[in-house]
Amino acid sequence: MSANDSTSTPGFVPRIQVFEPHRASLPPLIPYFKEFWRRRVFASELAKFTDKAEYLDSKLGKVWLVLNPLLLAMVYYLLVTVLKGGKQHNGITTLAHILIGLFTFYFAQTCITSGAQSITSGGRLILNQAFPRALLPFSSSISAFQQFLPTIPVYIFVIVLGKFFYPNTQVPGFTWAFIWVPVVVALVGITGFGLSLLFATMNVYFRDTNKILQYFMRIWLYLSPILWQPEMFHGWHRAVIYLNPLGPTLSATSHIWINGQAPTLAEILGMFGWAIASIIFGGYFFISRERDFAVRI
Amino acid sequence: MPDDLAIRIEDLSIKYKINVDTKRTLKNALMRASKGERVRMRTVEAVKHLTLDVPHGSVLGIVGANGAGKSTLMRSIAGILPPTQGRIIVNGKISTLLALGVGFNPALSGRDNIILGGLASGMNRAEIEAKTDEIAAFADLPDGFIDMPVRTYSSGMYGRVAFSVAVNMTPDILLLDEALSAGDASFKEKSFTRMRELCNEARTIVIVSHALATISELCDTAIWMHKGTMLAKGKPEEIVDQYLKFLDVGTLPSNFEDM
Repeated sequence: MSANDSTSTPGFVPRIQVFEPHRASLPPLIPYFKEFWRRRVFASELAKFTDKAEYLDSKLGKVWLVLNPLLLAMVYYLLVTVLKGGKQHNGITTLAHILIGLFTFYFAQTCITSGAQSITSGGRLILNQAFPRALLPFSSSISAFQQFLPTIPVYIFVIVLGKFFYPNTQVPGFTWAFIWVPVVVALVGITGFGLSLLFATMNVYFRDTNKILQYFMRIWLYLSPILWQPEMFHGWHRAVIYLNPLGPTLSATSHIWINGQAPTLAEILGMFGWAIASIIFGGYFFISRERDFAVRI
Repeated sequence: MPDDLAIRIEDLSIKYKINVDTKRTLKNALMRASKGERVRMRTVEAVKHLTLDVPHGSVLGIVGANGAGKSTLMRSIAGILPPTQGRIIVNGKISTLLALGVGFNPALSGRDNIILGGLASGMNRAEIEAKTDEIAAFADLPDGFIDMPVRTYSSGMYGRVAFSVAVNMTPDILLLDEALSAGDASFKEKSFTRMRELCNEARTIVIVSHALATISELCDTAIWMHKGTMLAKGKPEEIVDQYLKFLDVGTLPSNFEDM
C-alpha cells in the first residue's frame, strides 16, 4: 500500500507506486490512511450492497429493520412488565432502560461480530485487489450503524406508547443532555470498530474465534449495565462499569435517555478512553498483521 | 526509473510464514500451549532475488510448475503482498484478475457485482457506472443473465464477467493469473483481440498460464520460474520449449545447474 504520489492526480490512484518491505511490520501509515479515506465510498457501497443481498430473499425486506427491535421490545415487555406481575411503581421505566441499553449494545455487537468475519469472508477480494484491508471491517461498522438507526424511532415510539398506558413511566422532556446522543453513538461505533479490527485479525489466525465470540458477547451483555442499573454499584464496586469497554457509554446512554442528564465526568473520560484505546490497539494489531492476510486466507 | 518501463523489480524476495497445523483454531493453539508446544509454522520462500524490467506495451508470460512462486510474484506486483526484501516500482494503474470472482457476492446480480468490483479497484461510483454497460456487453451473457444473481451462473459465465471487469477498467498494467481458461473458444478469441488492443495502446500485460500455447501466441517475452528463482528469460517459444523439455525429463537442463 505504499505509494509515492509524485505524479498523482486527485481522486485517482497514484501513477507510480513503490512497494517495499514494511518497516517494523507496519506499512507507511500516511499513505495507508490517505488510501483508506479515498476509498471510503467503497466501504459504504459495500455495506449497502451487503444489506441489499441480505434482504433480497426476504419478503418483508427492510421492514425487518424496524420489526426486529419492535419484537425485541415486546419480548422484554412480557418479561419485565407482565411476568414480573404486580403494579410497577415506575411504569415501564425499567423496560426503557433495558431497551435503550440493548439497542446500543447490539450496535456494538453487530460491529464486532460482522466485522470479525469480514476478512475471512472477503477472501476473493483480498486475494485480488490491493486496498487498506481495514475498509472491510469499516464497511461492517457502517452496516451496523444503518441497522442501529431505526431502533431510535422504535424506542421513542415504545416509550410514548408506554407513557400513555403507564403514566408513572419516567420520561425526560427535551433537555440539552440529548446533544450528547450523537457523541455517545459515535463513541460506541468507534469502540466497536476498534474491537472488530482485533477480532477480525484473530479470526484469520484462529478460525474458531467467531464461535467463541458469540459466547463472549453474551457474557459481556450480562456484565454490562443493561439488565441491571448502573446505580446498583457504589464506591469501588463501580469499577465493574469502567473496566467494561462499553460500560461508560451504556451508563451514559441510560442517564441521557431515562433521566435526561448529561454524562458525568467519569463517564465522559471512560467513553473517550475506551474508544481511543480500542481504535489504537485494534488498529495496530490489524494493520501490523495485514500483510499476512493474503497468504493465510 | 526510466519512463519506458511499466514495472521494475529489483532483487525481490518474498517470504511468508504459514501455519501447517490441520486445525487453525484457538482451541488447538491453547491445547498446544498447555502442553508447552508451539503452533507448527513453516516459512515459505516464494520468490528469491528476482530482478526484472517490463517495458510499457509488452506482454510478459510467466511459466513454471506449481509452487514456483508465479502467483506470489503477481500478488506482489499488484501490491497485495509487500516484499520481504527488494523493491517493486509500478508505473501505471493496475487491474488484476488473480483470483476468479472480483468481489463477487453470489446473492447479487452480475451488474451489481461489476459495480462492486470497480469500486474495490479504486474507481468512483460515476466512473464505474459509466463503464457497466460496456463491461456487461463484453461479457455477453445469454438472455438477461447479467441482471440475475451470480449464484445462478455457470462457471464459464462467472469467468467471463470477471475477465470482462479486469480488461475493461482501462488499466495501464493488466495482471492475469490463469484467467483465460474460463471462457469457451469464441470468448477466448474475443479476449485475445481485446488484449492485443490493450497492447497497441501501449498498455502492459503480465500473464501466468499453464496453457503454453497461449503464452507463445500472446506474449513477446516469457520467463520461467522454478522454486522462486527466475531460471530463464527470452522469446516465448524458446522458454516454452525449455520448460517442456524440463517437464519431460524432470531434471533441469545442464546450463541451469549452477543457479
